[in-house]
Amino acid sequence: MTSAIKLSKSDRVFHFFIDASLFLILAILIIPIWSTLTLSFRPNDFIGSALDGMFLAPWKWSTAAYRALLGHRSFLHSAGNSFRIFFEGVATALFFTVPLAYALSIKSLPGRRLLYIIVLIPYLFNPGLIPNYLLVTKLGLVDKLAAVYLPGAVSVYNTLIMKSFFEELPEELKESARIDGASELTVLLRIVLPLSKPILLTIGLYYGVHFWNDFFNAMLYINSAKLQPLPILLRNILLSSGMNEYVEVSAFGEAPIYAIKAASVFLAAIPMLVAYPFIQKYFVKGTMLGSIKG
Amino acid sequence: MRKYTRFSLAILLICVVITSAFGQAAKKPVTIELWYGAAITEAGPPPDDWVFYKIAREQLGIDLKLMALPSNENDQDVKILAAAAANQLPDLFMVRRDPWQVLIKQGLVADVDDMYPLMPHRAKNWFDEDSRAHTTINGKSYGLAFPGSLQKNEGLVIRKDWLDRLGLKVPTNLDEFFDVCYAFTYKDPDGNGKNDTYGFGAFVEYFDQEQYLGRRFDPIMGAFGVAGTWNMTKDNFGLNVKKPEFYDALQFVNKMVDAKVIDPDWPSLKKDDFRAAWKQGKFGIMREQFAALAAAANYAPFDKNFPNGEWAVIPPPKGPKGKSSVGIYDTNFRIYAVSAKAAKAGKKEAIARLLDYMATDEGYKLIGWGVEGVNYSIDKDGNITDKGVPNDTKFSSPKGQTVTQLRNMVFYNSEMELISRYPYFKTSNGRTMGPLLYLKTMQSMPWTNVTGAGTIRPHPNNADLKRYMNQGVQEFVLGKQALTKENWQAFIVQMDKLGAAEWERAARQQMEEAGYLQ
Repeated sequence: MTSAIKLSKSDRVFHFFIDASLFLILAILIIPIWSTLTLSFRPNDFIGSALDGMFLAPWKWSTAAYRALLGHRSFLHSAGNSFRIFFEGVATALFFTVPLAYALSIKSLPGRRLLYIIVLIPYLFNPGLIPNYLLVTKLGLVDKLAAVYLPGAVSVYNTLIMKSFFEELPEELKESARIDGASELTVLLRIVLPLSKPILLTIGLYYGVHFWNDFFNAMLYINSAKLQPLPILLRNILLSSGMNEYVEVSAFGEAPIYAIKAASVFLAAIPMLVAYPFIQKYFVKGTMLGSIKG
Repeated sequence: MRKYTRFSLAILLICVVITSAFGQAAKKPVTIELWYGAAITEAGPPPDDWVFYKIAREQLGIDLKLMALPSNENDQDVKILAAAAANQLPDLFMVRRDPWQVLIKQGLVADVDDMYPLMPHRAKNWFDEDSRAHTTINGKSYGLAFPGSLQKNEGLVIRKDWLDRLGLKVPTNLDEFFDVCYAFTYKDPDGNGKNDTYGFGAFVEYFDQEQYLGRRFDPIMGAFGVAGTWNMTKDNFGLNVKKPEFYDALQFVNKMVDAKVIDPDWPSLKKDDFRAAWKQGKFGIMREQFAALAAAANYAPFDKNFPNGEWAVIPPPKGPKGKSSVGIYDTNFRIYAVSAKAAKAGKKEAIARLLDYMATDEGYKLIGWGVEGVNYSIDKDGNITDKGVPNDTKFSSPKGQTVTQLRNMVFYNSEMELISRYPYFKTSNGRTMGPLLYLKTMQSMPWTNVTGAGTIRPHPNNADLKRYMNQGVQEFVLGKQALTKENWQAFIVQMDKLGAAEWERAARQQMEEAGYLQ
């Protein structure tokens, strides 16, 4: 049995405005997505305005753009490169960030304050494009995928969040391991990391999204077309126009270029959209725990 | 004796080995790193087994390393300037004029005057006085200017079938232009019994040199001598929006808006909507690009809707002082620069060899279309076509396009290029149709030359100033602000306060120094 709670008139008005506001926000979020989605399925022979296109019946949709993209070697190459950057980048970033954050979280660490300042300096004072460019080129990273993720492998912001998380872990657990003769590395690997799944996944996702979307480093340091990741190809597709727009062919065959553009946006976003729901439960926990202490 | 013979043979053998080693060294190809502007940004690079790599290595002694520049001009600048700062510019690279000037000041690009005589095949169609002047600073040429994109490729077009149906003549002046627009709006030119058409169709399309109401209104503004952002004449240089004729032009557009003879959606239409609208027969006069109008795929929806519909190019209407113009054009080039590093390494001769080969008949076709029989064939009229070759390798196919990525380094908008790219076709009622039917007529119309205007440095407050100008002009036209002399004067005064006058002064000085004023 459910008992309906009788709402007063003012409550009903209040609820109406809340619902209306939420609906409005939903519409603001959904309409551009729907517009892009329908654009990606719009057939070449479609005649009508953008608004007409949004209400085109699904049975008139064309999958030509998706077929063209998924069958195109540039797209598949770039997607492969992006996945490599994603996995190698996340692994590398965590490999460097975890020990640094752990070291900073040990209150008794000699020189901790100095280390902290050293970590903070590049966060506060960005050296700029040219020194970064010189460093990456001198390291011989030009035309290597590592050039995309290595310069950003240690994010100070992420390190500080992770450090706060480590500080939140019960000191007694670490102490007891140390008393049993465990080295700091053992404490980190055997005690701290198994308890840090939420923060590892959260920070891993932060890094992953950043590397997946990174355009600038790839644009600067990747010269070989075979190594170009999706953001570069995506930008090339989105900017393709000029004469190409006016002839009956695009690099992707018969699909109209506007559908290709929209489909490429969707395809590039799918891996991250898929990843989020799986990590979401850790995501909230990881960030919240990390944010208790600043 | 035997000892002497052995010794002699040993010496001979050593000499042979050494000579052979030197010979090998002499044959070692010169590596040329080229950063090019891709012809089709979204297509991939040429494949590893591209025949041109082999030709470059075996015939020209060049090991060619290619890298496509980013598709966006700002990204291109960042990439080139970052490489320049690290002294890692490639040997040969495409560069925009602004960063190119910076590189010259820094001594990072080489002068190329000594390269021109090494490229006899380029002399005819690629390098002329204009192109050399484009890259000459203080008497030295610091880059190779290749012909840019097709110019004057748009035109004012009219629905000829509507004109015929209403028994009207092609308008020649603004009064007739208004009258035809009026008839197209109110006299049911398509005969469907509905009041669903307009005279003129447009949308707001801004480019640096086409501000205020944008490109699509230029045939009207041109009748008053104020097409484009700048007036580039010596006597009357300045922002067109500040000329008295601009006010007169706005009055005319305002009159068209008030009479509702312009498709009222024009302020909010996007390019795709605009194109959908003319394909649906919504208006009868517009300025459109030749291939967007008449390439097979673009024309097909219009042809399906209106098998007897016909667009004809007309001269832009003449204004009160007899002026007329479709819009503005610029002589444009793509600059390829040779890095000082490459010159120092003695690579100029090899670069010239490479570029000259690309301009030979063999190189031109190879770079422009690929390999005959694989990527293209020659039709009975001697024209290059993508017919008669495998579908997956023809030059217009996704795969075939990759072997034409360097075509902008050889194309000079020749008849051969245009015919191959814009073939003729038959409409549903059997008429011959094709973009080239329109191009020649469009190019023969009056246009306004604004060469040099593209190099005017933007005002420091560029975005705000342009927003103020463009929004203000649009408000006057739409009647949101009354178009009176007083209001207009106040608008100009405020524009000057925002920096327009100062911008004009700086621009005039810059254009005078560069010798661009006509």
